[in-house]
Amino acid sequence: MFHYMITADGLLDFFRRLLEKQPVMGPRERPDQPGFYYFDWLDRAEDFALDYVTTAIPPKKAFFPPNETLFTFKTGNPPELAPAFEEFPFVLAGVHPCDLSGIEALDDAYSHPPAEHRWQASRERAMIIGMDCRPDEYCFCTLLGTSAHRKPCDLFLTPVGRGYLIEVHSQAGESLLDGVSRLDASRQELEEAEQWRLRKTERIVHTLRASLDRFADMLDAGGLTRVWKEVAGRCYSCGSCNTTCPTCFCFNIDDEYDLTLTSGVRKRTWDSCQLLDFARVAGGHNFRGDRWQRVRHRWQRKFLYLYRQFGRPYCTGCGRCSRACTADINILDVINQLIEAAQQEAADA
Amino acid sequence: MLEGRRNESVPENTVYYRPGLAEVLRVDKRSWEVLLELEMAGGPLAYQPGQFVQVSVFGYGEIPISICSSPTRNKSFEICVRPVGNVSRALYELSVGDRIGVRGPYGHGFPVAEMKDRDVLVIAGGIGLAPLRSLIHYVRDNRAEYRRLAVIYGARTPAYILFENDVKRWSEDPGIECLVTVNKADEGWRGRTGQVTEPLRELKLDRDRTIAAVVGPPVMYRFVAMELFNKGMSAEQIYFSLERHFKCGIGKCGHCQLNDLYVCQHGPVFPLSELLGRTEAIEAWAPEKDQD
Repeated sequence: MFHYMITADGLLDFFRRLLEKQPVMGPRERPDQPGFYYFDWLDRAEDFALDYVTTAIPPKKAFFPPNETLFTFKTGNPPELAPAFEEFPFVLAGVHPCDLSGIEALDDAYSHPPAEHRWQASRERAMIIGMDCRPDEYCFCTLLGTSAHRKPCDLFLTPVGRGYLIEVHSQAGESLLDGVSRLDASRQELEEAEQWRLRKTERIVHTLRASLDRFADMLDAGGLTRVWKEVAGRCYSCGSCNTTCPTCFCFNIDDEYDLTLTSGVRKRTWDSCQLLDFARVAGGHNFRGDRWQRVRHRWQRKFLYLYRQFGRPYCTGCGRCSRACTADINILDVINQLIEAAQQEAADA
Repeated sequence: MLEGRRNESVPENTVYYRPGLAEVLRVDKRSWEVLLELEMAGGPLAYQPGQFVQVSVFGYGEIPISICSSPTRNKSFEICVRPVGNVSRALYELSVGDRIGVRGPYGHGFPVAEMKDRDVLVIAGGIGLAPLRSLIHYVRDNRAEYRRLAVIYGARTPAYILFENDVKRWSEDPGIECLVTVNKADEGWRGRTGQVTEPLRELKLDRDRTIAAVVGPPVMYRFVAMELFNKGMSAEQIYFSLERHFKCGIGKCGHCQLNDLYVCQHGPVFPLSELLGRTEAIEAWAPEKDQD
């Protein structure tokens, strides 16, 4: 792997060049709420936020927007359908390691046969520039092994001194740097980057009271209804946890007529397993009609079903769901609460 | 074990969730449901009894519907729709010559290969007869390959009996034992009344040679399973087809998740042995319901 050093001004220049060639989506500060950041198309290189903590909505939206048109239709006989799919190439920049891991998780899920064509085609349009992060009290990536995640990025940035270390992770990434003034990184600069990352991870002081394998076994064994009901007693079933999650990928599909009532769009929108009607069928039967069943489903899907299917938790430790929770339910606290209950159960038996 | 059953090949028309067009060839409309005969514009649909399609009426939406015809008959296929939601009500209003969207077929159907040289027991409740009609016709059309064919069908009232002409034909066919029961009789009804479990109880089965296919409302499954267990059948011989509100059909949207399985992919037809250890298969286990 190649390592380069680039100055802060050089990085700005690099982004200017990028923007000349293709649209760039990256973290930028909300004009209406200074101090809060979101992923969106950058207008200028200066919009790119280098030191954001996190965003409310993860960058998965670059490939899987919260609300997207699958195709448009004109009613009539026969009805006419027209595909709707953007094809322009773009760069997704400023993605933290946890969010890279989230994109990889969705790569795994959506490419699992039968593959999802939309996700795959979207991913092929983009190059990804990762960036090191500044964790806050909700982050627990170190417990899930995502704090130094790189796949699937093409370039990765880490602040070193007054400049940035650039790791090159692909041929395409290398070609993005064509014509950009940079120096080969020295051993000392690599060491400094390592120190910076060490200081970063040392700030995360949370613990996970069992291994993920053990936790999956505990969920599988069941007998945790007491905890599910306790958490459900606090949960409002608002779905904020799902909509802010970088690894959630459930969706709904429905139609929307325009005002002419002769044409419209078929839309895909993010959906949430926490909402009451998520598992309801036409006859009115609801397979998760109780709130605690929906709460249980969320943890079981992330740490049992998908964990066993893909060999990784469908959680990156980004802490977004805990930050967003209207009832202040912290995902890691609930995990530890479940582990404790399972251990108690085992001790009693 | 079910991973091997996962359907990895996807019909062409799944790409980007854009359906193909199907023309309505025949509309058989009754008070409680409509039978639509459809023909795909791009050539016949290759399907198995028990599979489902995603049906679109543009502007109203898309819903999963099981195919109720047998692939042994026509190039066209049939669906049976009871108007309860926006899309099904729009389907109910269709006329001959209208074109709608269809993508699929999806999922795993009934184990027609495994049923060969066996006794086939079909148990249907209400609209559950729709996918089972596909199986019944399939077995009838390949009659020499199967042994006994018994059909037990329970409907709410005589007026709710689906495929009336078919049911009549099956009753007259010496090759089929067809037992029909209604929960609530009307004045003209001369047949049985009561739940499907009652004729089932009377039926003599060769327990080692029988494979049962069961489709009905969730509440029916528990009681039918109990009755079949009483007759000495094992969970491996009993197949249930489950209903979920599929949105994608390819195991992505999450709506049909049943514990670790996706009903659209691993099912919708499952051997009961695969459902016994799973809490979300038939009914949720907790009796109390949300107040919101």
